[in-house]
Amino acid sequence: MQRQDLRTWLLLVPAGAWFLCMLILPLIVVFVFAFGERGAAGGYVPAFTFENFANLGARWTAFKNTLILAPLGTLACLLIAYPLAYFLALRASARWRTLLLILVIVPFWTSILIRSYAWIYLLGGQGIPSLLNALGFGNPRLINTPFAVLIGIVYGYLPLMVFPIYVALERLDKRLLEASSDLGSPPWRSFLQVTLPLSMPGVATGSMLVFILLMGEFLIPAMLGGGKVFFIGNALVDLFLQSRNWPFGAAVAVALVVVMLVTVAAYLRFTRRWAGGRDDVSLM
Amino acid sequence: MTDRKDFLTREKFMQELWRYKKGSVTRRHFLGVTGLGLASSVLGSAVPGLRSAAYAQGSIGDRVVVASWPNYHDPANFDAFTAETGAAVDLNVFGSNEEMLAKQQAGGSGWDVFVPTNYTITTYVEQDLIEPIDLSKLPNYDAASFDARFADAGTVNGVVYAVPRNWGTTGFVVNTSMLGDLPKPSSWKEFWDMTRAEFSGRTMVHDYQLTTIGNALKYFGYSFNSIDPAELAEAEKLLLDAKPHLFAINSDYQPSMRSTDAWMSIAWTGDGIQLHRDMPEIDYVLGKEGGELWSDFFAIPKGAPHREAAYALLNYLLNPEVNAKEVAFHGYPVADARVNAILPPEMLNDPIMYPAAELLSPLEFGAAVTLTDPNRAELMARFKSA
Amino acid sequence: MRIYAFAVYLFLYIPIGVIALFSFNAGRHASQFQGFSVQWYGKALSNPFVVDAFKTSLTVALSSAVLATLFGTMAAMALQSVKGRLRIAFDALIYIAVMVPGIVIGIATLIALVTLFDWLNPVLAAVWPLADGAPKLSLGYGSLIAAHGLFSMALVIIIVRARMAGMDRSLVEASADLGATPWGTFRQVTLPQIFPGILAGFLLAFTFSFDDFIIAFFVAGSQTTLPVYVFSSIRRGVTPEINAIGTMVLAVSLLLLVTAQAILQRGRQAG
Repeated sequence: MQRQDLRTWLLLVPAGAWFLCMLILPLIVVFVFAFGERGAAGGYVPAFTFENFANLGARWTAFKNTLILAPLGTLACLLIAYPLAYFLALRASARWRTLLLILVIVPFWTSILIRSYAWIYLLGGQGIPSLLNALGFGNPRLINTPFAVLIGIVYGYLPLMVFPIYVALERLDKRLLEASSDLGSPPWRSFLQVTLPLSMPGVATGSMLVFILLMGEFLIPAMLGGGKVFFIGNALVDLFLQSRNWPFGAAVAVALVVVMLVTVAAYLRFTRRWAGGRDDVSLM
Repeated sequence: MTDRKDFLTREKFMQELWRYKKGSVTRRHFLGVTGLGLASSVLGSAVPGLRSAAYAQGSIGDRVVVASWPNYHDPANFDAFTAETGAAVDLNVFGSNEEMLAKQQAGGSGWDVFVPTNYTITTYVEQDLIEPIDLSKLPNYDAASFDARFADAGTVNGVVYAVPRNWGTTGFVVNTSMLGDLPKPSSWKEFWDMTRAEFSGRTMVHDYQLTTIGNALKYFGYSFNSIDPAELAEAEKLLLDAKPHLFAINSDYQPSMRSTDAWMSIAWTGDGIQLHRDMPEIDYVLGKEGGELWSDFFAIPKGAPHREAAYALLNYLLNPEVNAKEVAFHGYPVADARVNAILPPEMLNDPIMYPAAELLSPLEFGAAVTLTDPNRAELMARFKSA
Repeated sequence: MRIYAFAVYLFLYIPIGVIALFSFNAGRHASQFQGFSVQWYGKALSNPFVVDAFKTSLTVALSSAVLATLFGTMAAMALQSVKGRLRIAFDALIYIAVMVPGIVIGIATLIALVTLFDWLNPVLAAVWPLADGAPKLSLGYGSLIAAHGLFSMALVIIIVRARMAGMDRSLVEASADLGATPWGTFRQVTLPQIFPGILAGFLLAFTFSFDDFIIAFFVAGSQTTLPVYVFSSIRRGVTPEINAIGTMVLAVSLLLLVTAQAILQRGRQAG
């Protein structure tokens, strides 16, 4: 027993030390810095003040944008991904399935930067708007709008949503669907009563993944929002890499983490009720 | 080289050197006449691996990392430098001096050369982020040939920390073909008013507190450099009011102006020249209330990893002949009389490069305090995240 | 349904097609096609900064993935037999590591390390025994690997643990009953069963690190990873060189994927 304890400890030490040194300590530093003051030329000067937290309202729009566009982006991903995952899992022929699945991930392997850059061109005046103009739909401005950011989000994160849903649908016992249709229920009812509830763990996992990543998003709004659609991530980068206000940046970071913990905890409670008390479904 | 001395007297050499320094003959002529060119080409080809006599004293390494501004360097000159010295140039561009400073404060930039603007240099010195320039390594730099107005800011407490690159103005570019019946704007008042009316959704401002806040201050006739809280509050109101009407907040507005996604933008001299050159309908305007007059400098950050290459690059770019090629590419004026002497006259007469005196006189140099003033920094950050 | 799927694939591939198309542009501008050329591929491959950034990315991704997989698997195995407070603490650490956005990890690592180095460097310089001067601590490979490995390690623990949960415990017990050493049991019973989980964790960790921009943006110091290089190239004004880099990265990953698939297929047929 003694030896086994020692072995367990030895196995845990590297991971534990890594978590403590690179995660917990830096987060504590951020928390401490959030009470400090900005240096004369920027940076951090030790102090104890609540001013940075009191000033959080100055970033309300960024919080609002994030709290609207992150769930909206997650929802958009879900709505587009679900039918595709359904098609792949239940309708596509087995011969093509692997290839089609691979084709969903492949875009994920070009850097998100380059993929977003492609959208700058596509959504810019000489891209889709000029096409729409030629077709007589007017000349809408797409780039540097929340809509452009939403497109970038869906484009960037769609594969992350497709996969968990696909896995859930694939595992689904097809005999249940047959039974349902044998009992005379129309396809839409089978879908609502059998397929959808059974695929919920996948939906929960995919949504969680996409939502977590979106809450800290910086690149997509930076590239497709033209500095006009700010997420908290953009406000944070701005505070550290432009206005050099580390303490206020630290306070914004603390607020972001708190907001995330609260929303994720609420979400977990919500989905756990769905998934019947299993706690491992929401992550992975 | 020794036998050449026979027919090139000392007087003749000095005379040629003087002519060259004045700029009335090219470097090639100078090197040809004095035989230095022959010597350097012989030496260069005789020593394998060292492609130029000027760098024969020691290897400068194979790279140099530069932090500078968008549309500010002729890639051909970097390529030529690489061909001559073997050191490849990595160019990083930034949208504001604040961003450059932040990057250096946040633990190691890895840059060898950076290009700060006049008003930032004292802060870099105070923050111990900049190295004094070893002028003995810059034989192409001739302090006497530079206009002091655009060179002085590089010297702090009698120590040279930076040598002049270019100077210029901050005005705005406007695509006149989009004006319709409107008269061409000539003031910051019109700039901001049009932004919020006819040009709604088509105007860009810099992602840069100095110029964006400064030119919003000009709308009210305040100093470009004001840090007065009441005046800044008015500027903020204007900026927030204009924000929904902006196309973007970005210091590299050329792509959007070229694609005509944007019709008007706060702009620097050289971008005005480059845009006007390719699209004559785009005009560069200096707001008649004033605005910014600036000069940029070459400097070497503390702890530059490739210092020798940095000096080699600076020396190369300070060569009047190379510098003239740079000017021909980017359209920013230089304060170096040697360069002006070899620039084509049509450039020297270009009203965008050298605005009329009455337009220049109300312009202000950026003030050091704007870089460190917490209110201006926070105002800009608030404006962007609004 | 089929039409819908087709439309989604179009949506996924048009931007990539645009990127690939413009990588063959003869002109300098990335938005007007001026004739076919492969010159940008040559330019990208002979650009020392691209090659270096690629090497840095590869080194960081490999090291962080190897370390994260090793330590993560160790922790996942140990956690099987851990209950009580320690278990709760570790679960909390894993959740925090997954939940805290990359941007906060990046910023936290940056300010913590910059502050630490500001204290340590003078101390180090004062006590350094050798004459050649103390090494100056700064951001770079170390901070990149440490910050990337953090998230990866949490991923590996979650994946390997999920795999272990589905494992047949009786085999381990049987092996122990038959007198195998713990190491022998691990090598011959546990490892083969959890190996797919470890491999999946490693691949995810590698991909995450190789593609990460935001953490590297803050903690890379004077190093440049490929995404950081691409970001600064886009700011500098896009040339088809970036498109060429993107197309090459895509082609290499496709090639790897096809090879892996072929090997797996052959293995399946042989077995």
